[in-house]
Amino acid sequence: MINLKVVSPQKVIFEKEVEMAVLPGAEGDFAAMPNHSPFISSLRPGQMAIMSSNKVDESFFVSGGLVMLKEKVCEVLVDQIEPLSDVNNSNYQQSKTYQELEGNETALGTFEQVVNNPPYK
Amino acid sequence: MPNLKELKNRISSVKSTRKITSAMKMVAASKLRRAQELAESSRVYADSLSFILSSLAGNTKNSSDLPEILTGRENSKISLLIINSSDRGLCGGFNSNLFRNAKKWISDQQGQGKSVKIMTVGKKASSFYKKTDLDIVASFEDLNSNDRQLQVSEEIKNKILELFESNEIDEVSILFNRFVSAISQEPTYQSLIPLSNEETIEDESEVNNAVFEFEPDKNELLEYLVPRNFLTQIYRSVLESSASEHAARMTSMDNATRNAGDMIDRLTLTYNRTRQAFITKELIEIISGAEAV
Repeated sequence: MINLKVVSPQKVIFEKEVEMAVLPGAEGDFAAMPNHSPFISSLRPGQMAIMSSNKVDESFFVSGGLVMLKEKVCEVLVDQIEPLSDVNNSNYQQSKTYQELEGNETALGTFEQVVNNPPYK
Repeated sequence: MPNLKELKNRISSVKSTRKITSAMKMVAASKLRRAQELAESSRVYADSLSFILSSLAGNTKNSSDLPEILTGRENSKISLLIINSSDRGLCGGFNSNLFRNAKKWISDQQGQGKSVKIMTVGKKASSFYKKTDLDIVASFEDLNSNDRQLQVSEEIKNKILELFESNEIDEVSILFNRFVSAISQEPTYQSLIPLSNEETIEDESEVNNAVFEFEPDKNELLEYLVPRNFLTQIYRSVLESSASEHAARMTSMDNATRNAGDMIDRLTLTYNRTRQAFITKELIEIISGAEAV
């Protein structure tokens, strides 16, 4: 199990033990599992999934941020995070990373691409 | 001899003042609790971010590889001071302490041959510095909700980056009242450009133990991290300042309530004495009237 801690500038959103978390890294999705090598990456807007025994337990929309991975700890610093079901095209386009990239959807992917292409198969 | 009616009016007006100040004290106390919680819960993010930043900067051996927004420019000429005041008054020496401190800092900087620009946060600072001949680059007011505080921090960050890039400023510091405890707040400076490295030193042993891989590469990450770090530092100072403001208001309103109580006691004493004097006078008049008959 790995300790997943999701933090926004205002508060700690949640902290729990998970088997595996799949995160949308800036240069490709990756899975956070125990004993991953120490790793720091930025996140692109996309889906974060919490998984156990090859099933998705929960999935979230992350608007971008940073992740720091240590032996048994995975700290995710996000700007904004919502359960995937609460997200639609308009709040996707309002997300900070989207705005910073000035809606460059080729670099980022459209809302449909982000939501319909989960990082896990 | 004081007029009885006047005294009575005086007492009742001091009583209502006392009611107001004690209500303000309660409000400040409950707002303080909330502000303190916010300040504490925002700390987790800020700490993680500065840890990441320091492990990133620590990994880069040659400091000349770092962008100048981290290390600062050589021969810096223009400093920017961000002053975090409150929107409202009645909080004791909260603002005046800050302004006195800022005045000293500004003349120090000018003594070193630098010119100073000011950015004000809160109505009190903007109305105070409007009267001086200092160069005010921006003013922000009405920080009355947490969302607004975050929004203002974001605007300040954007303004700083813009000014730094156009070479209008070389250094940036924030001045705010650091929340020490409910009865003590301390005007504190924090340097944003160049980045103050106290935390880097504290964490050094830990940083050296873990060698991180970075993705994308360091420079791109720094590009992303530096503005984000400004935002968090600014936001943190805004939160600390708001906690301090409520604490300062709470103590000063507590004092005011106590003073009003003392004043009421004194006035009541005078009132009773005067009343008795009147009664005695009337009695003397009656008795001497009766004797005359």
